[in-house]
Amino acid sequence: MSFDRTLEAQMLYAGYDQRAILEDVTLGLRPGQITAIVGGNASGKSTLLRTLARILPTQSGTVLLDGKSLHQMRSRDVAQIMGLLPQSPIAPEGITVADLVGRGRHPHHGLFSRWGDDDERAVSEALKATGIEALAERELDTLSGGQRQRAWIAMALAQETELLLLDEPTTFLDVSHQVDVLDVLVDMNTSRGTTIVMVLHDLNLAARYADHLIAVADKGIYAEGAPADILTEALVRDVFGLECQIINDPVSNTPAMVPIGRHKVARRTNNAA
Amino acid sequence: MSVQTAEASDAVQGAIRQRVNRRSVVILALLIATALILTAITLSCGRGCFAPGDVIAALMGDDASGATFVVNDLRLPRALMSVVTGLCFGLGGVAFQVMLRNPLASPDIIGISASAGAAAVFAIVILAFDGWLVSAVAVVSGLLVATLIWALSSNRGAAGARLILIGIGVSAMLDSVTAYILLEAPAWDRAEAMRWLTGSVNGAQLPDVIPVLGALIVFGGLLAASARDLNILRLGDDAARALGVHTEATRLRVTLAAVGLVAFATSAAGPIAFVAFLSGPIAARLLGGSRGILAAAGLVGAILVLAGDFTGQFLLPARLPVGVVTGAVGAPFLLYLIVRTNRNGGTI
Repeated sequence: MSFDRTLEAQMLYAGYDQRAILEDVTLGLRPGQITAIVGGNASGKSTLLRTLARILPTQSGTVLLDGKSLHQMRSRDVAQIMGLLPQSPIAPEGITVADLVGRGRHPHHGLFSRWGDDDERAVSEALKATGIEALAERELDTLSGGQRQRAWIAMALAQETELLLLDEPTTFLDVSHQVDVLDVLVDMNTSRGTTIVMVLHDLNLAARYADHLIAVADKGIYAEGAPADILTEALVRDVFGLECQIINDPVSNTPAMVPIGRHKVARRTNNAA
Repeated sequence: MSVQTAEASDAVQGAIRQRVNRRSVVILALLIATALILTAITLSCGRGCFAPGDVIAALMGDDASGATFVVNDLRLPRALMSVVTGLCFGLGGVAFQVMLRNPLASPDIIGISASAGAAAVFAIVILAFDGWLVSAVAVVSGLLVATLIWALSSNRGAAGARLILIGIGVSAMLDSVTAYILLEAPAWDRAEAMRWLTGSVNGAQLPDVIPVLGALIVFGGLLAASARDLNILRLGDDAARALGVHTEATRLRVTLAAVGLVAFATSAAGPIAFVAFLSGPIAARLLGGSRGILAAAGLVGAILVLAGDFTGQFLLPARLPVGVVTGAVGAPFLLYLIVRTNRNGGTI
C-alpha cells in the first residue's frame, strides 16, 4: 500500500521573527519513503520541518501539499493528511495513555460529532503498533522515557495521516529505545505506506533508517539523496565541521560515520598491516 | 493482525474509556448534588429553619405562613446569585488556567477581576450607571486589561511567570483604584464597600441575577463550543496546530468568553476572592485526568460561593461577606500552589 501525497517547498524563506534561518529552499519529499533531515545544531533542520508542517509561517515562498498552498488550506483538512510529533509536547497532568492517544483523533471530529468505532479502532491499532496496549490505562507521568515517547508516537499514529513528520523523536532516549522508536516508524512505513519525515540527531541512525537523507547547512540544503550516495567525508566536514571516516555499517549495509577527534586516534590502519 | 486480538483490544479500549467516562459522570453528579443540597440549605436555613414543605410551598407561590417573604425575596435571589456567579467564576477561572497551562494564571490573580471590579465601581459611583451598562463597562475594562497584560508580557510563550507577575502588579494597582473611589463615595455603607473589595451576595435581587445568567448562557456557550480545541491546546501549541487547532483563534474565543463570564459576575457580586482561582485546581484533583474539567470547575465555583456565603452568614461568630470566607480559604492554597509550581513547574 502506498499513497501519492506530495509535499514540496518552493523558494522557501523561513525563520523566527524577521530573521531568516532558511533561504531559498526548494525540495520535494518522496511519497512512501522515510526521509531524515540532518544537520548541525541551529542549522535550521527543525525550522525546515516545522515550516513544512505549517507550525511556523513562511517568510516567503510556499509549501505545497498535493500541489495546494499549505497555508491557505484549512488547518483541520491538513491535519487529516499530515501529522506532526513536535519536539517537546506537553502532557496534561494525570492524563492516561489511552486518553492521550485518543487526542490524535481530534482532526477527524467536528463540533458535534461523537467518539465512534473508527476512533476506537484507530486508537487500539496505534497502541498495538507501538506495543503499549498493556499501558493504556496508566498515567503518562508514571511511564519511563521510552514508553512515554511511544505513547506520543501512538497519538500521532492514531491521527491516521498519510504523512507523518517527527521532530527529533529519539531525543532523550537511551540507545535501545532510539532503535526501538525507529523500528516502529519503519513498521508504519512498510505496513501502512506512511510517508515519514523526521529530524534526527544521530547521523548513523539516520543513514541506517532513512531511504532519503537531507543535509541542512548554511541556511539551505547542502545535499539530498540516498545515504549511500551522499554521505561522504566531505559532507560531514562541510555540514558538521567534523573530520571522519565513512565505513560500511556491517549490520545494515549502509554508510556509517566514525568521527575523528583530536585525541584517541590510533596510528593509521597501515599499522595493522 | 488476527481479528480476535483486534476485537480483544477493542474491548479493552472501550472498557477504559467507559471507566474514565464513568469517573467524570460520577464526579459531575456528585458536584451537582452538592450544589443542589447547598442551595436547598440556603433556601431553608438562616437564623431559623423552615420545613422543606414550607420552602417548596413558598417557591410554588402558595402562602406558607411567613416563609414566603424570607424564602422568595431574601434567600432565593441570594442562592441564585451564588450559583450563577459561582459558575461564572469557576468557568472563567479554569478557562484561563487551562489555556495558559498555569494554575496561577486565573483572572483573579492576573488582574482581570480587579479591572472589572474597578470599572464597575467607577461606573456606579462616578458615572451613576446601573444594570447592564455597569456590566458592559466591566467587560470592556476586563478585555482592555487582558490585552494590556498580554502586550506587556508578550514574549513567546506568554504563559510564563512574566505574565503572572505583571498581572499581580496590575491587579494591585486596580484594587487601589477601587479603594480610592470607595473612599470618595461617603454615602456608601461598609457592607456595600465590602462587595467591591472582596465580593458579596448580600442584598441580591432577582433582577440583578438576570444579566449574569445571560452572560453565563452566552459566554458559557462560547466557551463550551471551544472546549474541544482548548483541551487539545493543553498538549502545547505545536501539537495543537499539528492536530488542526487554530491556536490563535481558540485563544481569542476563550479569552473573550472567560473575561465575559468573570466581568459580568464581578459587576453583580464583586470579585469574590479566589473562587476563579480555586475552582479549576479542585476540579482537576477530583477528576484526576478524566474529561469534563470545565463543567466540574463551574460546579465547584458554585459550591464554593454557596458554602462560603452560608459559612460567612451563619457559621461564624460575626457575619462576613462570602469573599472574606473564600479569601481565607484561598490564600493558603495560593501559597501552596506557588511552592508546588516552583518545585515542578506543574500545570493544571
